[in-house]
Amino acid sequence: MMPIWTKSGEKRPVTLLKVQDCHVLRYVSKEESGGKTAKLLVGGKNVSPFSKPESAHEIFKEAGVPRKQKVTTFNVTDDAIIKPGTPLYAAHFRPGQFVDVTAKTIGKGFQGVMKRWGFKGQPASHGQTKTHRRPGAISTNKAAKVYRGKKMPGKMGNIYRTSFGLKVWRINTKHDIIYVNGSVPGHTNCLVKVRDSKLPTYKDCNKNPPFPTFFADGDEELPEDLFDAEMFQFTDPSVTFA
Amino acid sequence: RVSSDGKPPKFQPPPKPVIIDRKTQKEERRFLSPEFIPPRGRTDPLKYYIERKDMIQRRKVFNIPEFYVGYVLAVTTADPYASDKSKRFVGICIQRGGKGLGATFVLRNVIEDQGVEMCYELYSPRIQAIEVLKLEKRLDENLMYLRDALPEYSTFDVNMKPVPRMDHEEIPLNKLQVRMKPKPWSKRWERPKYNIKGIKFELPEHKMKAAQKWSQPWLEFDMLREYDTSKIEAKIRKELSEELEK
Repeated sequence: MMPIWTKSGEKRPVTLLKVQDCHVLRYVSKEESGGKTAKLLVGGKNVSPFSKPESAHEIFKEAGVPRKQKVTTFNVTDDAIIKPGTPLYAAHFRPGQFVDVTAKTIGKGFQGVMKRWGFKGQPASHGQTKTHRRPGAISTNKAAKVYRGKKMPGKMGNIYRTSFGLKVWRINTKHDIIYVNGSVPGHTNCLVKVRDSKLPTYKDCNKNPPFPTFFADGDEELPEDLFDAEMFQFTDPSVTFA
Repeated sequence: RVSSDGKPPKFQPPPKPVIIDRKTQKEERRFLSPEFIPPRGRTDPLKYYIERKDMIQRRKVFNIPEFYVGYVLAVTTADPYASDKSKRFVGICIQRGGKGLGATFVLRNVIEDQGVEMCYELYSPRIQAIEVLKLEKRLDENLMYLRDALPEYSTFDVNMKPVPRMDHEEIPLNKLQVRMKPKPWSKRWERPKYNIKGIKFELPEHKMKAAQKWSQPWLEFDMLREYDTSKIEAKIRKELSEELEK
């Protein structure tokens, strides 16, 4: 994470996400998957093929791509289908877009109720006998049972969570890096899924994105860095207020 | 020379000239701003490389002078609410923190009997000028104890003129020992963990000895805490000199 400044001099924290060897692996049609839209399987980050059996390599061999560490599905409309085997780059996104980022949160292990659910616990003194971080009462008398889903101690973290509506401030096409506003779930160097935002406020925010994706061997020559209009670029002189 | 046997003294060849390469010596000593050195961790070095490119870009456009803790600086920032749209603050640098683009430095001054500390970000676009008024290194790298020292040690004239410097090589070291206000202080500065050399402790002997109870003499031998930055620094210095010459 690093700071970024707007043209008016305000500081924003920004997370850097690197697009590392992403390829489209397979196209699954609407009828095959049984969902509402067609799906595209996408894999990221190359990994050694020797730690998994040959049966697991089928998808990668069909696409002609080395084995990937993570395979995710994206729901796509029929006009956005891409041929399996095409590489995906950071230039697929443009500055000013809004994205949702999904990742597995940092695992905290078995945690008590105060850390996991934010319970207040009990006072430290004034007669409390061996009860400082316990949940206290877990149900009422009339219920005569404990409801399903009662917040209790257990394994915390290491589950998929999404941050919605994060603005893309900058794209580095040379190193394939996306600068995304705010923080993102997961530890440093963890694998992350970046998707166009599905929030209703940002439905019409994408003005002319590269559709279906950015093809590196196409005619378009992009500069090394793409900046958002509001972002302060370090080539400009210092900010002054007129 | 007195000869030994009446024979002429043995021929002593002149000592070989020792060539001191002043240029390479100067390059080794050149200042590398502490925020360029990446902290120890498991982050991808690509992230620090990208951040350094931005920092170098900013340095090309805006001059950030070389300064240490103890220098007296004047910083002009852009302010939308001031009448001139800019604000000037003069103060002694008491701390330099942060790594990468978020590097900060804290300036302290006493204005109208009120101590004021301003924390500025080195790479913030709002900063319009940084001038070094007085070049003076101190005994410590962190002068936070000035908060508990007598106010005269933190007062600097707001309209101070930059002190002219003779030499281009040596930065004067001020071995000033600062006198403190009576205790309680914000931190227990006599304790060895702060390792402060710039205070004239007027505490009784038994208190100074009691403070040594919290010393951790094994820390300096702890090998896991060692972070050798010499190679990293050499690489970054080379990168910086190449980029800034472009």
